[in-house]
Amino acid sequence: MKKIGKPVFFIVFVLIAALAYTSIFGVYGENGDFDVTYIKGIKDIRWGIDINGGVEAVFAPADGIDADETQMEDIKGILDSRLVGQNITDYEVYPDYEHDRITIRFPWKSDEKDYDPDAAIAELASTSELTFRGGTEQSGEVLLTGKDVKRAYASYQQTSSSKSSMEYVVGLEFSDEGKEKFKTATSNYVGKQISIWMDDELLSAPNVNEAIDSGNAVITGNFTSKTATALANKINAGALPFKLVVESYGTISPSLGSNALQAMGIASIIALALICAFMLIMYRLPGFIAFIALVGQLSISVAAVSGYFTIFPSFTMTIPGIAGLILSIGMGVDANIITAERIKDELWTGKTLDGCIRNGTKGSFSAIFDGNVTVIIVAIILILVFGPANILSSLFGVSTTGLIYAFGYTLLVGVIANFIMGVAASRLMLRSVSGYKFLRNKRLYGGAKS
Amino acid sequence: MMRQRFHIDFIGKSKIFFCISLGIMLVSLILNVVCLPTIVDIQFTGGTIIKYNYGGEPSHKNIEKIVNETLKGIDALKNEKVDFSYSENLAASADDTTKHIVSLQFTGNKAVDISHKQAITDALQKGYPKNSFAEESSTAVDASKGANFFLKCIIAVSMAAVIMIFYVALRFRKIGGLSAGVMAVIALIHDLIIVYFVFVLFRMPLNDNFIAVVLMILGYSLNDTIVIYDRVRENRRKSGPKTTTAELVNNSLNQCFTRTICTSITTIIAIGSVLVVSLIYGISSIISFALPMMIGLISGSYSSICIAAPLWVMWKNHQDKKKAEKRKNGGKKSAKKTEKTQKADMTKKEEVSE
Repeated sequence: MKKIGKPVFFIVFVLIAALAYTSIFGVYGENGDFDVTYIKGIKDIRWGIDINGGVEAVFAPADGIDADETQMEDIKGILDSRLVGQNITDYEVYPDYEHDRITIRFPWKSDEKDYDPDAAIAELASTSELTFRGGTEQSGEVLLTGKDVKRAYASYQQTSSSKSSMEYVVGLEFSDEGKEKFKTATSNYVGKQISIWMDDELLSAPNVNEAIDSGNAVITGNFTSKTATALANKINAGALPFKLVVESYGTISPSLGSNALQAMGIASIIALALICAFMLIMYRLPGFIAFIALVGQLSISVAAVSGYFTIFPSFTMTIPGIAGLILSIGMGVDANIITAERIKDELWTGKTLDGCIRNGTKGSFSAIFDGNVTVIIVAIILILVFGPANILSSLFGVSTTGLIYAFGYTLLVGVIANFIMGVAASRLMLRSVSGYKFLRNKRLYGGAKS
Repeated sequence: MMRQRFHIDFIGKSKIFFCISLGIMLVSLILNVVCLPTIVDIQFTGGTIIKYNYGGEPSHKNIEKIVNETLKGIDALKNEKVDFSYSENLAASADDTTKHIVSLQFTGNKAVDISHKQAITDALQKGYPKNSFAEESSTAVDASKGANFFLKCIIAVSMAAVIMIFYVALRFRKIGGLSAGVMAVIALIHDLIIVYFVFVLFRMPLNDNFIAVVLMILGYSLNDTIVIYDRVRENRRKSGPKTTTAELVNNSLNQCFTRTICTSITTIIAIGSVLVVSLIYGISSIISFALPMMIGLISGSYSSICIAAPLWVMWKNHQDKKKAEKRKNGGKKSAKKTEKTQKADMTKKEEVSE
């Protein structure tokens, strides 16, 4: 076995402690009069409606249009996708077929700074139809619409003018029909301009140099990572058959009462303390290390939800999300229990401590691996079936269920964090501390008196 | 020196376990059908949302009490379970009498008559004469998550089950993984049924919490069963071919027993803390999440040991028996054959001797 240096334990420990501290408390600073958030902490997490309250809006078709049932169903599906596209996973959308009304509820806290419910509602109600038009006027001939797009995605590529600079763009992949249309359109407009519109907003107006038959196109136009993703989500969600108007709009109080969050906080501290005590009593030194790893795993999960890493935007935390977290905690502790039990078994056969730790960690890996992989399979299926880009859309149309998506997301993150912390980090720490003479007593690992 | 181990004959007692599980399910099912109908949330059934607006800030608890008492007096709505939600009209100024709104959510497509709505308004006005309660709107909403949603859930769970069975079949092919995978899924279904009955027996509506608990148990139950299969796989490698399946599985279960118990205890500690704190704070919706989850966890551990493993042993024994019979039958045939040939040989010999 390759020796793991004694200081490794402290390095891993400090890293975990730093991650835990920053992911829980965040890092804030002041820049003159402004408060700046460098790293988002627990208090920046967006909680679900039941915990934090939210906004309710009732939409009606504009201009007194009489919608039929399929149109209403389409609208509901599109609204679902738009909400999940904004990472709002806790929402309710109620259609009323008789009066052509749609009630929407989504979470929002009155003092929330980086989320504007008015803008969100306006965006939900907009038709959001993508059009390609001839010329640069909105009145130009419509060449293609969002319906001809199979998939839109945000990407990052070299600018056309200079190879050294990069920019965010929205890539489009046309359907077979769209590919043909685009080919005809571009061949008709060689040397002229066509313009790309989102409703009445001009996105870009490129010059057509030659006919394009690849079935792909790129929208450029001073996007940031955020705006490019938002536009791609919007195009993927599809256009509403008509514009909606907001009929009424109000805030909802948290149905769990304002102390629910506090209660959950207290509960998690009690739970952590009890688990720590239990692990110490049952498994002694490996139990203690398992607890440190558990804290690290939780920190990664919290960070993935709060938007700590800027590549993962913040996510609405719901009760199913919490369920996913608890399951991943269970699995994380399980990984350490399986290993600790193995080491105990080995110790009773009277081998050396190093040999026991080696055999114990080796022997337990297949169980942990298979258990975690099966759960990852479940999580991925849930994300794929209920997420924004879902694999059953050909059967059920665009319909997303944020709650189940949230569960899949926290579970997947939790299990991956478990591989990093519960498996890799805790093994490193265990092998490292076993290098200390005073920690080499087998009793510390659950063995017999030596 | 050997480490202290459990020596419980799980496989021998499997009939008792099956009886316990089936008994619980049967009793629950009867209760479910006879006197405890399943309550389903408005999100799944659709229903009617009636809004009343008012000024001032009367206590929410009191409003709910008044409404519930009024409903008890109306025959058609006596057994209805109403959900309350409170909102604020952003357009109204703070002292407007239409500033606050309470929404009553009735599930199902039972129509709430005008007279019933009026009765509720009257009761509220009587209870709070100064807050000018008035009916604002009444909408019949369709399910936010309707039949399509359930169909999708079933497809998702079936997909997960099929992929799972394939995965187990592949990873555990040394011990006959396909049947092991199927048994793991049966244990999983057992747990999901138990969770459903917990919701029914405790009169909790099937809502988001139900989805959350079902999903969590799905993951937990599978993981728990897989860890046991892992031991069986390892022990099969170590033990000779003479060890019977029952012995093999029994040993594996006993070796895993401490781990199964400890993992359950830690997970139950996590959820138990949530349950106790929400009981103290009286947050009913979190209770309806933590309680079924706790029972589901216990069921998940139980089913891995007492359902999946014994079922698998039964299946293996059944297969072995079949194989043995085949061999026996095949053996008899060949035995007859040799007899015949021997006879033939003998006659030949006799002929020769003659």
